[in-house]
Amino acid sequence: MKTTDTTISRRTLLKTAAGAGAAVMMAPAIARAEISGPIRIGGLMSLTGAGGTWGPIMAKVQQTVVDQVNAAGGIMGQKVEYFVEDDQTNPDAGVLAVRKLIDVDKVCAVTGVWSSAVAMPTLPICWQNKVAMLAIAASDTLATMPHHGYFIRTYVPVSLQGKAIGEFGLKRGAKNFYAMLAQNPFSQSMLKGLKDDVEPKGAKVGSVIYDGTKTSFRSEVDQALRTKPDFIMLGGYPQDSASIVKDLYRAGFEGIICGFGTAITQEFINAAGAKAAEGIYTVFPSVAETSAAYKNLQKITGVKGVLDTNRCQSYDQINLVLLAVAASGQATGEAIQKTIRSTIGGPDGEPVGDVMTGLKLLSEGKKINYEGASSNCEFLPNGNLPNAYFKTMQIKNGVLVVV
Amino acid sequence: MEILTQIPQLVVNGLMSGAILAVPAIAFSLIFAVLQISNFSVASHVAIGAYAAFVANTVFGLPAAVAVIAAFAVSGAIGVVSDHIALRPLRGQGPLTVAITSLALNMVLENIVRFSFGNDVRGLDIPIYRDWIFGTVHIAPQQFFNFLIAAVVTAALFCLLAFTSIGRAMRAVADNPKLADIKGINPEQIARLAIFIGMGLAGVGGVLVALQSGIEPTIGFRVILSVFAAAVLGGLGNIPGAVAGALVIGVAEELSLLALPDAYRSAVGFVAIIVALLFFPRGILGKR
Repeated sequence: MKTTDTTISRRTLLKTAAGAGAAVMMAPAIARAEISGPIRIGGLMSLTGAGGTWGPIMAKVQQTVVDQVNAAGGIMGQKVEYFVEDDQTNPDAGVLAVRKLIDVDKVCAVTGVWSSAVAMPTLPICWQNKVAMLAIAASDTLATMPHHGYFIRTYVPVSLQGKAIGEFGLKRGAKNFYAMLAQNPFSQSMLKGLKDDVEPKGAKVGSVIYDGTKTSFRSEVDQALRTKPDFIMLGGYPQDSASIVKDLYRAGFEGIICGFGTAITQEFINAAGAKAAEGIYTVFPSVAETSAAYKNLQKITGVKGVLDTNRCQSYDQINLVLLAVAASGQATGEAIQKTIRSTIGGPDGEPVGDVMTGLKLLSEGKKINYEGASSNCEFLPNGNLPNAYFKTMQIKNGVLVVV
Repeated sequence: MEILTQIPQLVVNGLMSGAILAVPAIAFSLIFAVLQISNFSVASHVAIGAYAAFVANTVFGLPAAVAVIAAFAVSGAIGVVSDHIALRPLRGQGPLTVAITSLALNMVLENIVRFSFGNDVRGLDIPIYRDWIFGTVHIAPQQFFNFLIAAVVTAALFCLLAFTSIGRAMRAVADNPKLADIKGINPEQIARLAIFIGMGLAGVGGVLVALQSGIEPTIGFRVILSVFAAAVLGGLGNIPGAVAGALVIGVAEELSLLALPDAYRSAVGFVAIIVALLFFPRGILGKR
């Protein structure tokens, strides 16, 4: 009877182990991945306060995507759990909310951070706990703070937006600019962007930074008009900008008024009234209206018209996190931020615009390149987008129309 | 020299915004005078009044004057109901307990408004006019009408308190509720009436703020510091004092712009409270 010698020599064992190790290292991430337990993602949303207009909409978009993924069996057999906390557009409430998401809910990524005032104190908490933060908050300072790569911003920093408004004013022949900015962490960056652009070209810039919680800005408007500006830049929120514009109308200002996208919205028009708001411009970062992701988002939200940037960014953020988890096979903040930059946010791979297609391609071992509804979603090491595209709109008969 | 030319305009702006603050400040003081409690839910009633006017004006298409009456009635009625449910049972526990509970009540009411109307900023459908110009000073007609509404409301309340039996009963309860009871005045009914009028006035204040800016759920919270400062400066419970306090706060906030950056305007309210407590603990007009 022939017997098989099952003894394994030490050399054979080492060879086998080395070979197996190398094979594991070289295999696609998805093949070696193991995620134990549900994938936990947090939405740090401004459900109330100044950002309360957007937070509930953004949370709904992200929840819809998570529900889609869970209905199809989750990621690598694991369900996705999505937790939403209200930061009240307030830094103190934001810190408590992010601590709850990290310490209690054990999330690996925090999405939807809308307010720069909230992002400032919560970013250090995220990176120190190795949790990825995907933010909309536009303050330039955020990208310069230490964050070890855990900060990714789907929006354009405000200095670039200020610059774009300056360009717009110069093209319209403006020579005397005045910036009216609400007190917040990005007011200085807005002003710097405007000044850096127009002052070297010979234009003057005056400014006031006001307390946006007040109900009357009559004296601030007087202060602006004393400088006889031909171009006023508004950098606040809809409610304070509406109050300012009403006073500018009453005072008979006839120059150009142009605001940031955060100020000039349909809500602003409702609050200011069509007469006072007529003719006001906004120059704001545009979304990727021709992308597949944008069309998918229109489909899942049922919105046939133009989608706002906040909705598009919240959609991109949740898709990026879910695809990064699937591509890396790890539900950790470190893997998410690295994979977003190195793999799915990169230019290589098959372009995808929704999470379900992305997950399918990843499961087939293919590389993907997520091209978002708000941008192409390629990120620099400091977390910023390298490119910005802007769109100009004007209020005509109570409605914002593309110029 | 340029500063001197700015002062008249800043004073006018301050008087106009002070007049808006005066109406909810009277509400705060009236409730304090009769019940000896600081009811911070005045802030949410400012919002309730603004939304009631919004519904009357934009949904039912009623003119602004009717919207003001609707704001008074709705916020007054909600004030009575919310006080009956949340604050009245705690009155025996002391004024501090009631004041803290009123903060909680304020949050509840503000969030009910939020759930009912959402967070969107809205505006009243009121025509907008160019400023009237008098030399170097300009005044918006809307500001002037706001001032007028505030003055009429204040005068009406003064007449009610000074010349009617209800007003005398209110003053009697404010001075000594037990003695008033012995004299056959029902302090509970008077308290309810004071709350109705007070919260109704807070609602009217909400309309005035809404005419100046927009309507959103935190509209009352945005003014409550200045309102409280005005009431403290005028002497809590002193109604003419509340008016004077509001005008002083309004003018001081505007004049502070000559020396301070605009972003620190809210600090004036805090400074006024400190100054009042240190140097005029009974208010700038003293307590009656």
